[in-house]
Amino acid sequence: MSTPLILLPGDEVPSNHLPSTKSNPLKLGSGVRLLSQPSTNSAASSHVLTASQAGILTTDAKRNTVSLQSFSNRRYIPTTNDLIIAQIHHSSIDYFHCIVTPHTAQALLGQLSFEGATKKTRPMLNRGDLVYARVSSVGLGAGAEVEITCVNPATGKAEPGGLGPLTGGMVFDISTGFAARLIRASSSSADHGDAIDGLVVLSELGKKLESSGGFEIAVGRNGKVWVDCSAAGDTAIKSTIAIGRCLQSTDDNNLNTTDQKKLVTKVLREMKLSS
Amino acid sequence: MVGPTASLSTLNRADGSASYKCPATGYDVLGAVNGPIELPARRDALKPEDATVEVFVKPGNTTAGVGERYVEGILRSVLGKVILGRERGFPRRGVVITLAIVGGDAVERGDSYLTILPALLHTSLLALLSAAVPLSMTFSATLLGVTKSGEIMPDLSAADAKTAVSRHVLAFSSKNHLLLNESEGRFDFNTWEQVRERALSICQELTMPGSDGDVAMGDESDGSKVDGFVRETVEDRLRRDYTWKIDS
Repeated sequence: MSTPLILLPGDEVPSNHLPSTKSNPLKLGSGVRLLSQPSTNSAASSHVLTASQAGILTTDAKRNTVSLQSFSNRRYIPTTNDLIIAQIHHSSIDYFHCIVTPHTAQALLGQLSFEGATKKTRPMLNRGDLVYARVSSVGLGAGAEVEITCVNPATGKAEPGGLGPLTGGMVFDISTGFAARLIRASSSSADHGDAIDGLVVLSELGKKLESSGGFEIAVGRNGKVWVDCSAAGDTAIKSTIAIGRCLQSTDDNNLNTTDQKKLVTKVLREMKLSS
Repeated sequence: MVGPTASLSTLNRADGSASYKCPATGYDVLGAVNGPIELPARRDALKPEDATVEVFVKPGNTTAGVGERYVEGILRSVLGKVILGRERGFPRRGVVITLAIVGGDAVERGDSYLTILPALLHTSLLALLSAAVPLSMTFSATLLGVTKSGEIMPDLSAADAKTAVSRHVLAFSSKNHLLLNESEGRFDFNTWEQVRERALSICQELTMPGSDGDVAMGDESDGSKVDGFVRETVEDRLRRDYTWKIDS
């Protein structure tokens, strides 16, 4: 990807940039909309794709999708199947009311939408507790409620793994674009050891902190990252803060892979964690 | 002439932000956009399918008064036409635009607000782009003054604007639609028509392809313009944000 195509709102997506597979219909991602253009000569109207945000045009030939990648600091808009970190605001008879992003309507989390939850054995969550959840529906029409769940209703298991209440640890705020990048990087890191999406900060931290017991991490698409360390006492707190600082400053300063490695070394030395 | 300077995503906590400095008038405006957010009161009864656009203008040295309310109304109507309030996640929510005048001469109470209007419009456009709020098109605006001798002056300074017989702010979309026309002072139809033509050519200069040959490929007549400085600012910032992707 040497010369990215950057579009502004109102620009047409050039047809030679669209994936050429004809087997399945083209899917439009965020920032692209379909307009029909009344044609002058015949009854059949033609369609054009125009951008509605400023962003870099990205296409996926395999899945036949086209979308625009915009600025990373934007607000998260709930989308079905996204994994998010939500905070309990209050609880009612049927639902936990959760905060997903500040100043937006609360999302609903069913009292029984947890793995193995029944009326008698449901998790007692208090105000301020965190859950790792999947967006199950965003509703239809204007101002509909967003529903989230910690369980796959088909199997009754917490799928994908790790959904449910997050106990201990600490949450750090990151930009939504960086959160999406972290998720992409961690979901595909199983088979390659190299940097994915230009991120080495997590694998580097993993290598350095392995001796002290490693760490657990959950990334929410709504721009939150939860970090917890299993080590004992002070080391756990120090490593949690160090991981959070590394992630936040990689995000803020847009570091490249070498700078990320340097940053990890520097932060761990400052926190007196490196051996 | 020195062009305007702007930078995007300058504020960390806002969803989108931009700062913009106009060289002719010296105004420096900082804008922040938050959206889609839940509005405190139900203000959406009239248009339940649409997003509500709220604009706040804060002068640098005093509280907002009648002049600010007036310019907020103008901005709200222009931006409301450009923002796609029916896109996913936006209906019944609010888009809040806060513009702080951080530099330049203070606009005295009772003074004309037209001199600062183009700067406010450009700042809000850039901040909306930075917040990735869906827009149907971009736009550019300009301020023109007409002197006693009937001469049309571009790049008015605040002092020039006071001596001009009439002042006009016109905004054109990236597809050359006239989006806004605010005029003040004494003028006739012929003068206004000349002003419109002049403003259109200035705004097109801001939006037409530059001479550097950086024209997007494709053969569309409208869709592939290089929107002068708006496009440059946005491209710069996007390239910086996505260096990890572009370099790999």
